[in-house]
Parts: sequence; structure tokens; C-alpha cells
Amino acid sequence: MPPRAPSRVELLQGTLELLILRTLRAGPEHGHAIARHIQHTSENLLQVETGSLYPALHRLEAKGWIAASWELSSKGKRARVYRLTPLGRRQLTAEQSKWDAFVRAMGLVLKPLDQEAP
Amino acid sequence: MNAFFRKLGWWLRRSDKEAELREELRFHLEEDAGDLRDAGLSDDEARQAARRALGNLALVQEDTRAAWGWTRAEQVARDAAFGFRQVRRNPSFAAIAIATLALGIGGITAMFSAFDAVLIRPLPYADAGRLVMIWLEMAKTDVTSRHNATPAEWLEWRRLNTVFTDLASSQPGDVSLSGDGGPEQVPSRKVAWTFWSVLGVRPALGRAFTEDEDTKGVKVAVISHRLWQRRFGGSPGIVGRTIALDDQPYEVVGVMPSDFYFMPSRDIDVWIPASFPPWMRRNFSWHDAQIVARLKPGVTLEQARQSMAALSLQITAKDFRGPHSVIVVPLREEMAGRTQTALIVLLGASVALLLIACANLANLLLARSSARGREVAIRTALGAGRGRLIAQFLTESLVLASLGTMAGLLLALPVMRFLETLVPDAMGAARLALDWRVLGFSAAVAVSAALTFGLVPALRGSRSAPQSALRDGGRGTTAARGQWFRHALIVVETALAVVLLTCGGLLLQTFQHLRNTDLGFRSERLLTFETPLFRYKDFDRRVAFVNAEIERVRAIPGVVGAGSINVLPFTNVANATFYLLEGQPRSSIPTQVALIRNVTHGYLPTVGARLREGRFFDASDRKTDAPVAIVNEALANRHFAGRSPLGQRFKFGSLGDKGYWYTIVGVIRHIPENGMLAEAKPAVYRVREQCDQIDDLSAGIVVRTAVDPESIVPAVRQAIWSLDKDQPLARIQTMDAMVGRELSTPSQSTALLSAFALLALLLASLGIYGVLSFAVTQRTNEIGVRMALGATSGEVLVSFVRQGLALTVTGLAIGVGLAVAASRAMTALLYGFQPGYVPTVTVVALVLLAVAALACLVPARRASRVDPVIALRSE
Repeated sequence: MPPRAPSRVELLQGTLELLILRTLRAGPEHGHAIARHIQHTSENLLQVETGSLYPALHRLEAKGWIAASWELSSKGKRARVYRLTPLGRRQLTAEQSKWDAFVRAMGLVLKPLDQEAP
Repeated sequence: MNAFFRKLGWWLRRSDKEAELREELRFHLEEDAGDLRDAGLSDDEARQAARRALGNLALVQEDTRAAWGWTRAEQVARDAAFGFRQVRRNPSFAAIAIATLALGIGGITAMFSAFDAVLIRPLPYADAGRLVMIWLEMAKTDVTSRHNATPAEWLEWRRLNTVFTDLASSQPGDVSLSGDGGPEQVPSRKVAWTFWSVLGVRPALGRAFTEDEDTKGVKVAVISHRLWQRRFGGSPGIVGRTIALDDQPYEVVGVMPSDFYFMPSRDIDVWIPASFPPWMRRNFSWHDAQIVARLKPGVTLEQARQSMAALSLQITAKDFRGPHSVIVVPLREEMAGRTQTALIVLLGASVALLLIACANLANLLLARSSARGREVAIRTALGAGRGRLIAQFLTESLVLASLGTMAGLLLALPVMRFLETLVPDAMGAARLALDWRVLGFSAAVAVSAALTFGLVPALRGSRSAPQSALRDGGRGTTAARGQWFRHALIVVETALAVVLLTCGGLLLQTFQHLRNTDLGFRSERLLTFETPLFRYKDFDRRVAFVNAEIERVRAIPGVVGAGSINVLPFTNVANATFYLLEGQPRSSIPTQVALIRNVTHGYLPTVGARLREGRFFDASDRKTDAPVAIVNEALANRHFAGRSPLGQRFKFGSLGDKGYWYTIVGVIRHIPENGMLAEAKPAVYRVREQCDQIDDLSAGIVVRTAVDPESIVPAVRQAIWSLDKDQPLARIQTMDAMVGRELSTPSQSTALLSAFALLALLLASLGIYGVLSFAVTQRTNEIGVRMALGATSGEVLVSFVRQGLALTVTGLAIGVGLAVAASRAMTALLYGFQPGYVPTVTVVALVLLAVAALACLVPARRASRVDPVIALRSE
């Protein structure tokens, strides 16, 4: 069977938190918007499960990396809006560089197949 | 930490949090549905699709809640609540468990509070671990191998030693305080000026005295916080005030802090400069200085011992008694004394009792966890993991342990009141309290006890195969595999009980022996007190005053006789000197020391001393240069074994040719002058008028009464004050009280250890009973089958009793072995007495077997009465 691009990608363990932090860097958002943003920006490759999203948001809040408040949404409904805290901003930088290192390392090992001698 | 407080905050408003979460998820669903509607779905379809996309709503909530971080705490709380419910639902089980634990934990808590107060708590000095006491080791003499040092040696040691930062000399004594208020005798201590710097203490008010004041003999005093409060009303003007001590004016320069004390007792009220006169600074045989010293940083106790021994041998090389070494003892050890062994033994006993209690509880819980097999099986079937079950069982154990600890603390309080009298005099009348140290200890004990008795039942109880248990038709699981563990527990607790019973028996015998010790006199209806003689400046006036005192007291109605002695029995003052018998070479002097007691004619008959041969003193023994003496049996036996010492003469050694020759006119039975727990020493009694040495500055008075001796105390005071209205009286007490105090350590430790031993016996027999009872219940079917097949009820009875006794005998054998080792650890508490070990063990074995047989018989009879028809039908 010829290889084809996957329509969905499973989220790696622990990466959801990084994605949330990165998303919130653009400004405060509620849970649903965060999920939608990740989905759109990843060209629908990343699907955020609600069952993982809210535990992750509350975990980050418990750690103090993000803070939550109730605000009115664009449609005039009460929404729980999350915002990056200064601590979260520092964590994001740290996590981002860790991720970059990880990606580079994976890339080095998994060289494009066609470059390998048969 | 922030995360912790955030979570705590969430927990406090957890119902709000739940509502918020519901609202947040509802908002999410609506947004999702909105998106889908925008994509062209109908209202209903959109809502359903959103709902599907979200998945299991309850699970999402559950997972999110987990992020709030208190699920674990909630679990523990739920288990604890379940534990409390179990306690309420099964009150008899809980009552037995809590009572057992209360005994174990109460005992160890009380013992720890005393142990802590005497052996752990820091002494009230700077870096007290570096402080040591130094005594002379004069093993060759008879009275005691440990002597006070001399002021002259103290000076030499200060000059020449290399191991101490400094040394201080101090001498105990009493001083009469007069002036404002009536005269009173207060305990005092003469101390060298280095005392304060060596101990690293400073008065709370004012200052300590200086080197200059000490050497120049300036009359200054530091007083205790207690005396300051009691006599001077805590007035801040006390510093600088003049008080009269032994009729001499002293200026108060300081008040010590309230927690300060120093040997020999906490009661010291006045500290004054030692101000050694020049002759004392040169005299190497004036043994009146107790030395405390501070080790230099980095110097070990062993180094100090070696260095000081060498130094002492060098300094005393030319002493007429020959050179002597020194004994260096850590201050803490010196203060705790014999109590240390008593406390260690008793703490060990309380640990053993706690272990027995834990073994019993483990057995109870094992039995119960088997009975709860069905409950566990259901929980397992419903998805409870093993870890979750173990956590639940352990939490229940902790609930029991904490209830047991609370009950135990209530039990500990009266025991602590009792133990307070065990605290050595050197540390004063310390109050034992349930302070945070003791409470912390009890809490730690409770947790470790819960783990000790709860772990195995938890591991066993959680290991249930649901199918087999549920299929079992509602009977508890029969766990034959648990049998050996339960039996091992019984063996262990029986062995521990044997150890406690044996040690208790040995102490009991020793105490009996001590109480039956021949005092050599009759202690009942004998009043004693002391009158200091500093108000009478010369020998003749002192003698006259003492004689007049005796006459006045004798005239009191209800008084049968009265007499005086320089040092009352059981007073911790050696007052001894060298002697030489007529015809002996002078070289034997250094090896012969006798206690010296100066008495009035009537003293020996008044106390009821018993003559072995010869006569008591009488009115004809007046001032003369041909004096007479009475010796005790120890001296007579040492030099005149098999013949009569009457008519033999001796003199006191250090006086050389000036001393009188004393003729022995009587031999009396041994009176334990320096304590009932000490060995019998040679002693010499002579009439006060016939003394040839520096005489005594205090007279002990004994009064034999026909009535209650306490009742004549006011009359005695009046009689003495009619002679001299300013004469102080000190330490008024009955001889029986002195004897009682003398035996207080052995009597307290015996009483406590016996109590522990009896409780251990009780718990061990309850343990045997419990295990057999349980076995009978478990094996009802088997018994039914056996009886149906022809076993008689007698055979069933015997088989159960045999099983119980086999465990007891195994425990007994191990226990006897352990008891040998344990009794070796408490040799110091036997005071040289050799209690009968074999009879003790025999009695213990018989008692234990009898009690165990009884404990076996009750369940065994129940087994023998099993009706096979009923037993098998219930299958």
C-alpha cells in the first residue's frame, strides 16, 4: 500500500499543554475557542478531545501557568476565559525550546527515507 | 506552595467549582452546536452531534475534577469515615481493640515522658554534652571508691590540665537564712568563681560573682528564682540587698533563672563564693570539692579520662596514701544515676507491652478480614484495585490507632504523676507533662503501631479471589494459609510476656529483699530533724547546746527517748576517715577508712540499735583523753574475725601522734548509714564529747515517741526555741519517710514493671483465647464431620487445648531464653542481690501455662459441644 498523509494525528503525551500555552500567547480565550484554534492552525490534523482539553486547562490553572475568569463572549454569553500568567509565559519559552530540541533530534534520526542507502 | 493554597482555596468552595465546571462544559456544547449550525445542520442535529463529540460527560467532569487535586484527600477522608462507621457498627470489636491499644500506647507514652525528661531533654547549661564531673578513684579504701576531690587538686588541675577549657569546684551544704522573716535552713552551694563560666550560665537578674570577690572572701550571694519569689516576693530591688546567711551579712548580687539547677538537687537556693582559706588550698586530704569541667572543643571523653588519670597520678605521686587516679563521668550520666537503668528497662518493658498489644490487634484484624472476605470480593468485583483496598484497610487501622492513642493518653496521665517520683533528686522535682515532644512521640507510635498491626491483615485481606469467595455461599473464606502467621504472633507475644514476667519477678524478689533488709534499728515512730550549730562558736558550747536540746525534747509528753548524731542515716554524706589499729604498721593506714559518727549517750538505744557484744555509751563516758568507741560488725569482722574486738584500741590516721587512742567497748549490728542500697562499710561511733578532730557544725536529732511522731513537731519546735529563739530546724521528717524515700526507685520500678508484666500476661492470654475461638468458628464444619465420623467430644476438646498449649510452650521456651539476656541488662537494678532465677522462671512458667490452659479451655469446650447435625446442616 502506498503511504499517504494521515487525516488525523494523535496528540503526543504532554503536548496538549504546550499547544494551549502557545495558543493563549495571542490573547485570552475560552476552552472551545482554544480547541478550534489548535484545530484550524494545524490544518485539521490535530483534533483536541474535550475529555482531554478541560482536565489539561484545569491542571495548568492549578499549576498557576494560566488564570481563568468569567467574561462575556462575543455572543453575550458567560464564558470561562483563560489567560497566560507571567509564570506560564516563562514556562512556554522553556517548553518551546525543549520541543524544538526534541523535533531536531527526531529529525536527525529519522532522515528522509530516500536519502538512505538501499 | 502556591499551587497548594490554590487547591485548598478550590476545595473550600468546591460546590461553586462544580457549578462552574458544569457551566463551562455547557458553554462548550453550545459553542460547538453553534459551529455545527453554521455548517448547515439543524438545531437538534447540531446539539446531538456536539453532545456526541464531547463523549462521556460524567467522565470529563471526573477527569477535570482530578486536576483540582483533592481526590486523594477525599479518598482518605472517605476511608476514615468508613473506619469510624465500622467502629460504631462493631462496638465490641472496637472496644477491645481500642482498650488493647490504649494500654500499649498509654504505657509507652508515660515511660517516654520520663525517659525524655531525664535522659534526652537538654540540661539547662550551654552545650551540656561537653560537661563532665571528676571524682577521685581511691579503690583501695573501704568506704567508697569514689571521693570528692580536694580544693588543692582543683587548683593544680586548673593549672596543669590540657583537656578542659576550665574546671569549677563546688561544695554542697546548708545555710541558715535569717533577717526579715523567721530563720530558715536553705540548701546552698559554695562554688568557685569559675562555676558560672564552666556551666555557661548567667543570672537572670544582676550578675554572678567575680574571681576577685571569690579569692578575697567578699560576702556576696546569688539566689535561686524560687527563693526570690518565695521569700522576697519577686521584688526587683533584691539585687544589692543584704541578707543574713549563718548570721553573716551577704550582699545579693544576682538571681538565677527559674529553670536552672545543678547537682545534688534542684532545691539549691543560695550560691556563695567558695573562698578557700589558704590552708585548704594546699591540703591534699581535704576531700570537699565536687568538680565539674568543660571539655575543650575536639577533646573526646576518652582522651580526657586518660589525660586526667595521668595528671592525677603525677600530682599525688607523693601522697601518704599513695597516688590515685580519677573518674571522669559525663554530667548527664552523673545526674541520671541509677534511674537511667530503671528508665531503660521500663521503656523496654513498655515497648514489649506495645508489641504484644499490636500482635493481639493484628490477630483480631486477621480474623475480621477473613470474615470480611465477602465484602472484599464484592468490592474487587466492582473494580476496586488491590492498592485501593490496602489503603482502605490501613486507614481503618489508623482510625483504631488514633482512638486507642487518645484513650492511651488518658491512661498515661496518672502513670506520669507516679513516675515523677522516679526522676532523680539531682534533677529536682520535674513535672512530667504531655507537651509537644511527648504528643509527637505518641503520634509517631500510633502511626507505626497502625502499620505494624494493620499491614499484614491489609495485605491478606485485600488478596481475595472474587469468584471463589462469592461462590462460597456466604461463608467467610477459610484461610488455612493465614494460620502460621497467627500462630507466630501468639508465640511472639507469649515470649514477650514471659520476658516481662520473669524480669518483674526478679525485681519483685529484689524489692522484697530490700524491704526486709535488717536496718539494724527500729524506724517506726522515730522523728528526725537537724539543728545547724553555726551560732555556737566553740566546741564546748556546741556540745552543751546539743545536750540541752536533747534534755528539752526528752521532756515533751509522748517522747520516749532522744539522741543526737552528727550525720543521720541515709544522708548522702560520707564523713569518713583513715584509722589505725594498735599494733598495725603505719603503712596500713591508706587502706583503712571508716565512717565516723559522733553521737550522744542516748542515741544508739533511742534508735534501737542492737549490741552484738559489749555495751552502749553511758553517762560515765565524759570528756577525757582515754576515750571509748563502739564499732559496727563490718569493722569487727574485718580485723577481728573469730575473736572479740572489745578492749582493742585504734586511732584516726591523719592526725598522727596527736590523736587519741580509742578503746572499743561495744560492737553493734550493721546500720546502713550511707544508704540501704550501698554495701556495708566499717563504721565507728563515739561520744561527741570525746571527739579529737574538728567537730560537726550540725547535729541530727532523733526522737522516739509513743505517739504519732508528726504530732509532736510543734512541741519540738517550741522546746528548741525555748533554748534559743533564733535556732533554725531543718529537714523535719520521720525515719519511716526516709526509709521510704531510700527505697523509692526500687519500689517504683518494681511496681511499674510488675504492672506491665501482668498486663502482658492478660493480653497474651486474650490473644491465645482469640486465636482458638476463631479457629473453632472456622472449623465448625470440620468438627462436625469428625464427630459424625465417631470422634468423642473429649477428643475434640483435647485436640484444641493441645494446639493452644503447644503455642504457649513454644513461646515459653523462646521467652525464657530472651529473659536471660534481658535480666542481664538490669543487673544494676538488683543492687547486688542474687534473686533466684530458676524459681522465678518456674513460677512464671506455671502461671503462664495455667492462664493459657484456661484461655484454651473456653473455646475448646465450645468446640467439643458442636452438634454434628447442626454443624453439617449449616453447610
